[in-house]
Order: sequence, then C-alpha cells, then structure tokens
Amino acid sequence: MASTVIGAGIIIEGEIVTDEDVVVLGTVRGKVSAKEGVTIQQGATVEADVVGAGLVVAGTLTGNITAADRVDLQAGARVIGNVKAARVTIADGAQFKGNVDMDV
Amino acid sequence: MASGVTVIGRTTRVRGRLSGDGDLQVEGLVIGEIVTSGNVTIDAHGIVGANVRGRRLVVRGAVQGDLLGEEAVVLEDGARVVGDVRAPRVAIAHGALMRGLVQTGDDGSAQPPLIRAQPAAKSAAVPARVAAPAAKPNAAVAIRPAPVAKAASTVAGGAAGALRRPPPPVVPILKKTKGQVLKKKER
Repeated sequence: MASTVIGAGIIIEGEIVTDEDVVVLGTVRGKVSAKEGVTIQQGATVEADVVGAGLVVAGTLTGNITAADRVDLQAGARVIGNVKAARVTIADGAQFKGNVDMDV
Repeated sequence: MASGVTVIGRTTRVRGRLSGDGDLQVEGLVIGEIVTSGNVTIDAHGIVGANVRGRRLVVRGAVQGDLLGEEAVVLEDGARVVGDVRAPRVAIAHGALMRGLVQTGDDGSAQPPLIRAQPAAKSAAVPARVAAPAAKPNAAVAIRPAPVAKAASTVAGGAAGALRRPPPPVVPILKKTKGQVLKKKER
C-alpha cells in the first residue's frame, strides 16, 4: 500500500521528495527521490531522475535511475537513461537504452 | 474518478506544479501550484504553499495561497488558510481559521485569482504570499516606509550640507550622529 500515488490524470512538474513508497500512474517531470520503493506503472510517463530503494518500471521513463537495492524493468517498460543499482532485472519485452551500473 | 485518486503522502514533499484531472489528496507538503479538474482534499497534516484550483476543495490543514473552487470550498475544523477564497459556495466551519478575502457566487469571479496565481507561483509562491497579506490590512504601514526613505535622503542631504559648512573636527561616527540630530530638528 503506497502512501503517495500520482494518479493517471495528474501531471507534476517539479520535485517529489518522500520517505515512503511512490506509485506513479500519471506524469512526472523533474525529480523523484524516495527512501522506499518507486513504481512507475504502465501508462505512466516519468521524465525525471529517480532515486529510491527499489524501482519497478512498467511505464515510460526518461532519466537516470539510482536504486539502493534493485531495479526491475518489466515487460512493456520503455526506459532511456542510466541505471545504477545493486541488482537489475530487465524483463523480456522491456525497451531499454542506457548504461547499467551494478556493484560488480 | 476515472483517473483515480492522487495522494501526496505524509512524508512527501512536492515542489512544483501539480496539474491535471482526477481527485487529489494532500497529506504532505506541496509548494508551487495545484490545478486540477477534480476535487482536492487537504488533510489535517497537509501543508500547501500554493494557489489551489479544483472543483471542490476541502481543507483541514494549512494553506498559504488562494483557493478557487469551481463548485465549492469547504474549510473544516482545523483548517488554517491565509489567502483568498472564491467559489460558488464557501463554507467555513467552526474551528477553521482564515485570513483573506472570501467571495461566494459564480459571477465570473473564477478568473482573477488564477491570473494572479501565475507570476507568484513562478518565482517563490510562499514568500510572495507572505508579503501580500501583510501589506493588505494596514495601508498606514505601507505609507510609513516612505518617510524612512525620505529621512535617509535628508540624512544624506544633511551630511552633504555639513560638508559645505566648515567641517566639524569630529570623527565620522560623530558626523553621522549629527546628521541624525539634524534630521530630528527638521521634523
């Protein structure tokens, strides 16, 4: 149960900083910084650098991702940007262009 | 409701513009601007430093900015609002605090606050709003700064006059005090 939800019709232009989970169904432009998980749902558009503990992307994301724990790009996701995380998964059917930086 | 509810959680801070369709619930902090075609609820923990425009606005938290409801604005117990409120129907419940202009009715009054909202939101919404209400209630105070400015110029003028006269054999600090004495005499 996420505490912060950006609904499908909503556009946020600016910065989101939070200590809790964020679920994006709408549009965010700017920056997203969460201490917990960030979920970018199918149909969502995020043009922002995203920082979080764990990141699940099923929508469209343009920007760099930094996750303390893991990043999962699900089928249908469209991501342009660099990914930095301890663990990264890219599902079959996910579109991705960018660098992956895992602690090797 | 088709577009779902947007929730800004308690620990969430949003700086920027929040717009679109769908209902919005603010339990955290929003600084910037809120424009939605849906309903907006500002929870008891919510803090908003922004002009808010929506269909029906329900406020239980703190708002610094203008509230513009297409349908209604309801300030419930615990609401703290500094800013103007405009809506066809406005309700202020017992326990709600507010400072600003209230205008009910839908005589095309919906536009002015939004037009005013644009520049304020672009720079820094909160300081702008802090300045505005302070200036509003006391026009007398607004006049007061002018004499201060004048006094400053007379001090400068006095100092210039003092230079034309035989220069007093004193250190610059004393010269300054003499200027102030002159100012007082002039008054």
